[in-house]
Amino acid sequence: MNRDKLFFFVFLCLFVILNAYLLSSGKLAANWDGFGIIIAVGITLSLYSFLYKDNPLFKFAENLYVGVAAAYTLDQVWYTAVLADVLNPIFGLNDTPVDLVRMLPAILGLCMLTQLASPTISWLSRISFAFVVGLGSGLAIPRTIAANLLAQIEPSMQSLSASAEGFNLFVILVGVVTVLVYFFYSVEHTGAVGISSKIGIWFLMISFGASFGYTIMARLSLLIGRVGFLLQDWLKLQLPLF
Amino acid sequence: MKDFLLNIDRRIIFVFVALGVIIPSLTEFPLPIKPTSTVQSIYDTIEEIAAKNGTVLISFDYGPGSMPEVQPMALSVLRHCFNKKVKVVGMCLWPTGVGLAQLAFDTVSKEFGAQYGTDYVFLGFKPGYTTLILNMGRNFHDAFAQDLQGNRTTELAVTRNIKGLKDFDYVLCLAAGNTPDGAWIPFGQERYKFKFGLGCTAVMAPDQFPYLQSGQMNGLMGGLAGAAEYEVLIKTPGTATEGMRPQSIVHLIIILFIILGNVMYFLHGRQKGGA
Repeated sequence: MNRDKLFFFVFLCLFVILNAYLLSSGKLAANWDGFGIIIAVGITLSLYSFLYKDNPLFKFAENLYVGVAAAYTLDQVWYTAVLADVLNPIFGLNDTPVDLVRMLPAILGLCMLTQLASPTISWLSRISFAFVVGLGSGLAIPRTIAANLLAQIEPSMQSLSASAEGFNLFVILVGVVTVLVYFFYSVEHTGAVGISSKIGIWFLMISFGASFGYTIMARLSLLIGRVGFLLQDWLKLQLPLF
Repeated sequence: MKDFLLNIDRRIIFVFVALGVIIPSLTEFPLPIKPTSTVQSIYDTIEEIAAKNGTVLISFDYGPGSMPEVQPMALSVLRHCFNKKVKVVGMCLWPTGVGLAQLAFDTVSKEFGAQYGTDYVFLGFKPGYTTLILNMGRNFHDAFAQDLQGNRTTELAVTRNIKGLKDFDYVLCLAAGNTPDGAWIPFGQERYKFKFGLGCTAVMAPDQFPYLQSGQMNGLMGGLAGAAEYEVLIKTPGTATEGMRPQSIVHLIIILFIILGNVMYFLHGRQKGGA
């Protein structure tokens, strides 16, 4: 038995013994809630086992998550969209008034599925895709320009003043201009342009550093959440102990 | 020793991080949590809405993968709303948010005795993202004819008089993806000009600050720290406040590892350069 198999065997034995103790001592309820917690703990530990190395337990938990998430999404879409917005209004089910206009988007949706069927009818999906692309572009282009470009230009061009707010505006102004200069490749980055470009790099680096710091905080929060679940919900410890 | 420090096995760092999370979770020591102005702004807005008996729309756009960060925000905001008798309408742009939102509503409504239909309504998930938001702005009852339980939104007390997104006193998005800057702001706030706030994962937070600067959103809760600040404001410590202890300790550990790595790299680089 190699080292990895030994680790796996010991881990499994410890998991079974600990759960048997928690169930027999009454700390973990012997019902569906308790069973659910044991499953959640098993999957959590299986996923974190990847930190040691890739293994079948991790792969099982990962695939299980994908499968469950897909099934859950299908369930939500079926009841809240397909049933409520398509089938009920078209066929007048569940006291819903009949609305035959909804057949048009329903047919477009069905046309999309022809991609999965025979190549002889798959061309029908192009009609639906053309509709989606046209509608999507028409909606997105003006909205995105208004919200993400025009609305952002305005606060970057406020009047400067000798105050804390004015200093902030000055920093934003310098940041915007120098980063734009850095991404302007039509002129050689020498002299004043080079200095401005270097300042732009510093702004970018600071921004990446801030994003990295926030990312660490986010990932740790998830770990803290899982450790809290293991200590409180599974081991039933009353935190803090000391 | 030098080679060891220059090539620390990542699993050793994992052990330090694990201990840095577990030990502070087991022990108690006080850490000051001071609410920032961006979180205070969301709190103040809900206080203002409470004064005029208004309605808040909360969009639960996250899933189990971001639950430890965003769920404490949902619980805190709901506690604040129900405590101040602010009516709440919940919805999801992510299907995975439905179960978590329902859990939050069930937990907090029991604490405050909030009644379904008169104090809050949960609409559930609806696909469409941008088109759904545009539809909600144009005709709310058309976009959500029924709530999650199948009740007509035209008949529920909370949603009866809501014609469009403009009729909400505040829209708060709790997000773990691109729904605020990809959907709510360009297709909702920018078009219908309602007051908008955001609670999001820490990964997303840096990208959302420009929208604060431009006034497109009036408040931002970023990550577990943002959630902890809100818990401080409503004076109800929860998992976010508890999580600040391990968070702070592990941050210190990571900073020390970064300093160690840089010092060793600097020294090693100089030795190589001098050789």
